[in-house]
Amino acid sequence: MTVHATFPEAALEPAPLLSVAGLNRFYGERIGCADVTFDLWPGEVLGIVGESGSGKSTLLRCLAGIDRPDEGEVLFRGGAEPLDIYSVPEQERRRLMRTAWGIVHQNPRDGLRMDVSAGGNVGERLMDRGDRHYGQIRERALDWLTRVEIAGSRIDDRPRQFSGGMQQRLQIARVLVSEPRLVFMDEPTGGLDVSVQARLLDLLRVLVRDLGLAAIIVTHDLAVARLLTDRLMVMKDGRVVEQGLTDQVLDDPHHAYTQLLTSAVLGV
Amino acid sequence: MTLHTPVTQDAAQPAYNYAYLDEQTKRMIRRALLKAVAVPGYQVPFGSREMPLARGWGTGGIQITAAIIGPQDRLKVIDQGADDTTNAVSIRRFFEKTANAKTTEATDEATIIQTRHRIPEAPLQAGQIMVYQVPQPEPLRKLEPREAETRKMHAWAEYGLMQVKLYENIARFGEVTTTYDYPVLINGRYIMAPSPIPKFDNPKMHMSPALQLFGAGREKRIYALPPHTSVKSLDFDDHPFRIQSWNEPCALCAAADSYLDEVVIDDQGKRMFVCSDSHFCETRREDGHRGAMLADATSSGLVGESKL
Amino acid sequence: MTTMIQVENVAKTFTLHNQGGARLPVFDDVNFSVEAGEALVLAGASGAGKSSLLRILYGNYKPTAGTIRITHAGRPIDIVSAVPRTVLDIRRRTLGFVSQFLRVIPRVSTLDIVRDPLLARGASPETATEKARAMLARLNLPERLWSLAPATFSGGEQQRVNIARSFVDPSAIMLIDEPTASLDAANRDVVVELIAEARAAGSAIVGIFHDEAVRERVATRYLDITAFRKA
Repeated sequence: MTVHATFPEAALEPAPLLSVAGLNRFYGERIGCADVTFDLWPGEVLGIVGESGSGKSTLLRCLAGIDRPDEGEVLFRGGAEPLDIYSVPEQERRRLMRTAWGIVHQNPRDGLRMDVSAGGNVGERLMDRGDRHYGQIRERALDWLTRVEIAGSRIDDRPRQFSGGMQQRLQIARVLVSEPRLVFMDEPTGGLDVSVQARLLDLLRVLVRDLGLAAIIVTHDLAVARLLTDRLMVMKDGRVVEQGLTDQVLDDPHHAYTQLLTSAVLGV
Repeated sequence: MTLHTPVTQDAAQPAYNYAYLDEQTKRMIRRALLKAVAVPGYQVPFGSREMPLARGWGTGGIQITAAIIGPQDRLKVIDQGADDTTNAVSIRRFFEKTANAKTTEATDEATIIQTRHRIPEAPLQAGQIMVYQVPQPEPLRKLEPREAETRKMHAWAEYGLMQVKLYENIARFGEVTTTYDYPVLINGRYIMAPSPIPKFDNPKMHMSPALQLFGAGREKRIYALPPHTSVKSLDFDDHPFRIQSWNEPCALCAAADSYLDEVVIDDQGKRMFVCSDSHFCETRREDGHRGAMLADATSSGLVGESKL
Repeated sequence: MTTMIQVENVAKTFTLHNQGGARLPVFDDVNFSVEAGEALVLAGASGAGKSSLLRILYGNYKPTAGTIRITHAGRPIDIVSAVPRTVLDIRRRTLGFVSQFLRVIPRVSTLDIVRDPLLARGASPETATEKARAMLARLNLPERLWSLAPATFSGGEQQRVNIARSFVDPSAIMLIDEPTASLDAANRDVVVELIAEARAAGSAIVGIFHDEAVRERVATRYLDITAFRKA
């Protein structure tokens, strides 16, 4: 019998985009999330699944720079130097969040300026980074509206005049216009009708693939996780109980909780 | 028995400190002013005092003037560009009474010019101090209601949102429609509200040899422009900042380069455009400049004969 | 000959935590290898674990023990211990799975579904379209359906879309699970031809075929996995 030497894993990318180590967040005695450690590689889409209260949203907030963890570090390698996002000044973190990162909130109202036109919403990040040519900003905004399937004629309408699905697509355009390396999404299809969800999911799938985005998506919907993510982390009571390749976790779950979660849903 | 005690006229006069404010308050304001001058465009909080007029009537400007005025100063006060409006007259009288101040309507004679709505047309000179009355010192307030957040935005020069406001204007109206209190970038660093002066006056602030001080009494903020500070009105590369212009010169003094007010002059809706800077207009007329409607205005008593 | 798959000491036991921790042993100590150009057909009674083994080879199920070295980009990599992104890269470039079910993606046209693997491996859009059209035609899928998303197609039509997608650019290793289940005789013949062509081009094939005639025509070797059943 031939004995093959097993090579170390092919070096696909020089370094992970995000390295998370020993993340803990407590609310008094209660655990928000505990002992979370993982690497996210460029272009990888990670899903965080679990029930309400499992700590997945807390974890996302800690990862996205919104909620400082009590312990642990979040290292981002988007620029020349790796950046420990909680040891850099807040100014640097805010700059990161407006440029190299994006956050898509579950409720579009949390991510959009409701009094500003669709074009202004999409253009803000460009103006944030110093773009000062109105015509070019507008052109980029128009391009992005088209990419998220919003008619160009709506560019001067305010988000209030949009349906829920359109608002969510607008929020995505607003985030992606600055060409972030990493996007955080909190239940991006929550609160939408099933048919609207399908359209949004397909759009996200195509955008994530075409732009080579790395993304972390929190969802309680395993079908969403299956369609959009490469990897899954299953959370329960603030801890990661199982993680791995998305289809492996969903089709051959090993932890009791994951088995319960997958058996409770039909046809994922 | 009688409860009335005779009171002499002198004792009835309240014993105000020089320039109304007590010396400690003036020092506090001067310290705020020094800090404001040191960081051009930065809003310095200060302990705004109650003044003998309602907040919103210029209490910020009055407190600054009170803190800097001395017996040698000559004070000019303008309101809507005019020296003879109620507010201007009252404030002038206030300092005549409390600070024995000499007052003037002539821009070039004044050492301190307290203003609301305008910067005089005559160029400011080194040694002069402009004092602006400011209702809302925070240029970002309408866009971001949280004070903690606007402070961070200033601290880190996160000014994209301000530009979004201009974008919205152009998108909706084809141009930036803000005509007064038009936001400016100071010394390449802080965005500042220039107080409700018309954007016509913005270029006068740029590199001005005069010291410019801004006081917001209700909002308790002081900020400043030291002499020769760069003041850039925000704009887009393809929609550059422009000031207002008029199709006709001043009807009284024929000035073609001043800020004009539209005045309705009879019941038929007849109107004329005249300089908003009343002193500037009078000076020009005294120098012999004659506008198209000067004769009519004189005969109808709108403009005093003596000034001609 | 190049060994494409090397299976060593693979065991699989399902543990059902929510059914009192019941343990379902499937097989134990599985050892075999597959060479390039071979078609290994898994045999054994229903429930012997043929599908489970195929899924383990794909990295979809995790074995309880053992290693599975997949020759990927010229080097053997253990798919059991590989991190997710490596598994995905192996699947993208080396390892294809053909099931009887198409996972329908909303709003994506049939032609785009079939073109996708070619584009993912760097083919030009023109070449990809040309090959995709030829493959759909060969599987007798009416041209009027090509621009539609297959969500509303019949089971047989969806299955043919799936086969077209899998064989338009055959992987170096193809794992095939009952591909002909609901096909008529003519299309079954096309599938048999496609498998033979892929094999001739050097693909290593591991498959499960319910239909005995198809099995006979495809197989170069059989592996009866009943032998690995736990005693």
